[in-house]
Amino acid sequence: MGLGNELFSDDAVGILAVRKIAPMASDRADFVETSLHGVALLDLFIGYRKAIIVDAMKTGRFPPGTVVDIVPEELEPVANPSPHYTGIPELIKLARQLKIEFPEEFKIVAMEVANTCDMGGELSAPVAKALEQLVARVMTHLAK
Amino acid sequence: MKKRIVVDPITRLEGHGKIDIFLNDQGNVDRAYFQVPELRGFERFAIGRPAEDMPQITPRICGVCPTAHHMAAAKALDDLYKVDPPVAAKKVRELLYNIFFIEDHALHFYFLAGPDFVVGPTAPKAERNILGVIGKVGQEIGLQVIEVREKLRGLMTLAMGKTIHPVFGLPGGISKPLAREDQQKFIDTAEQAVRFGQFSLKLFNDVVLKNQQYVDYIVSDTYSHKTYYMGMVDDKNKSNFYEGQLRVVNPDGKEYVKFPADQYLDHIAEHVEPWSYIKFPYLKKIGWKGFKDGAESGVFAVAPLARLNASEGMATPLAQEAYDQFYKTLGGKPVHHTLATSWARLIELMNAAERMKELANDPEIISSDVRVIPKKTPVEGIGIVEAPRGTLIHHYKTDDKGIITGANLIVATQNNAARIAMSVDKAAKGLISEGKVDDGILNMVEMAFRAYDPCHGCATHALPGQMPLVVRVFDKDHRLRQEISRG
Repeated sequence: MGLGNELFSDDAVGILAVRKIAPMASDRADFVETSLHGVALLDLFIGYRKAIIVDAMKTGRFPPGTVVDIVPEELEPVANPSPHYTGIPELIKLARQLKIEFPEEFKIVAMEVANTCDMGGELSAPVAKALEQLVARVMTHLAK
Repeated sequence: MKKRIVVDPITRLEGHGKIDIFLNDQGNVDRAYFQVPELRGFERFAIGRPAEDMPQITPRICGVCPTAHHMAAAKALDDLYKVDPPVAAKKVRELLYNIFFIEDHALHFYFLAGPDFVVGPTAPKAERNILGVIGKVGQEIGLQVIEVREKLRGLMTLAMGKTIHPVFGLPGGISKPLAREDQQKFIDTAEQAVRFGQFSLKLFNDVVLKNQQYVDYIVSDTYSHKTYYMGMVDDKNKSNFYEGQLRVVNPDGKEYVKFPADQYLDHIAEHVEPWSYIKFPYLKKIGWKGFKDGAESGVFAVAPLARLNASEGMATPLAQEAYDQFYKTLGGKPVHHTLATSWARLIELMNAAERMKELANDPEIISSDVRVIPKKTPVEGIGIVEAPRGTLIHHYKTDDKGIITGANLIVATQNNAARIAMSVDKAAKGLISEGKVDDGILNMVEMAFRAYDPCHGCATHALPGQMPLVVRVFDKDHRLRQEISRG
């Protein structure tokens, strides 16, 4: 799943990566691009056993362009979640509680980005440069 | 070759989801401010692009209500090219739009408002979440919500293509008719949606209305404002989400004005405040008198509660029944209690489900006559729909080749901005005393704006994916005393 928004600069990086990967690995996975978030994402995962989310992240802890593998459990302590907004960890908990057919294995491949605020902007230079690296990392996971 | 002017990138967001609370000498609230992040730059972004791209581009502004933007843009293009779509095309659009309403309202009630109303506003924080809701109402209900939404979204994909790139609404109609072999799927799911609507209203009755504490919250003065209300109505003044005129009622519930889309600038103006980037729409002919309620102030509200108040009823029987119960229980029209919005939302869900059923069964819904090719030279077009969160206005001006030269978007959250600001201020004043601020109190202050479901969808999608919200409490000398951030 390429997550993000094409209109907003680096926020597009997950979608752009998935667009490059899809023709190379269409025999190994289904590919989804989406700008949805929160609980609305739940619908898209139902029926799959494994999922890889490719997304932008903005933590300020890494130089822009850094590709990081995250397991959802690691995401939990990151935020102090509002009870009314649902992130990936809550989504997984919800699915497990409801016992719906949902990926047992979740991987998040995220790239630290610089700019997600410019409407109509291109990828920032470090993110554009590292796009292939993001593609390669996801391909490695797909090969497993 | 199409001419395209390259526009420099523009910063999309100004401000954060932020509540600043200023206390006085006694530790009571002097004033509380709520800042909604505002989407900026779209108007400039649109300039130089072909108008026919707008139904594809505008849904991408926001991951929350892409269908509302798509539909408003398609209607603006009808108006731009002065072309009236065939009846069947309008019916299919309205069918799909009602499907979107059901799934969006279900999402809000069960997953966003649910923790307040089903688990309870003062329940421990660990339980005040979606899992707490499921814990209280039972796993079966959670599964039902997911199943119904999944089917509805499946129908939307079937008719509209993927939500990220909807290829459906075109100037003068839609891109393809509904297939005869698919009609039964729409009918079956509509029947399920109607049952789901009945069930949701019953749940609200059983869990919320039978709990006196919740009812007391709903009707408390802390969460009430006597403002004007705006919503779209059909020719019988019944609520309609897709098409009609905008009707505004005064704080006594009497019609103040009713106008078609192309007159919106005669009735709505925008006020600027130094502390917020968002512009506050108000009723132009009454004027901006500050963040005040009452007939003398031009502040108005949109969204489910406002739509019920602005109409003379619902166009479908079960929704009308619920509408009557709503006003009977809450003391007649109009209802000024913001927290009644969640109930109003479920009545609208019922209405959308019944309308879906009517349209799905309409023999004309599978007609192949779904497009009139536009032939007139474009100049200016305005499209208005009721988005789940309130009235959404798209307005484009173009050159004679249909290239956009000017655009104006007023989104639902913006229409509600003044009343939201008043609600947060009033709730903070009503709930915080002698400097005592804890998580439970802050949650109840947040409830004041959550009922409106202000859309932060234009905030970054980047991980961790929470709504960024900072609550800051300042003492009488404006020194920061406490800061709580979420997300």
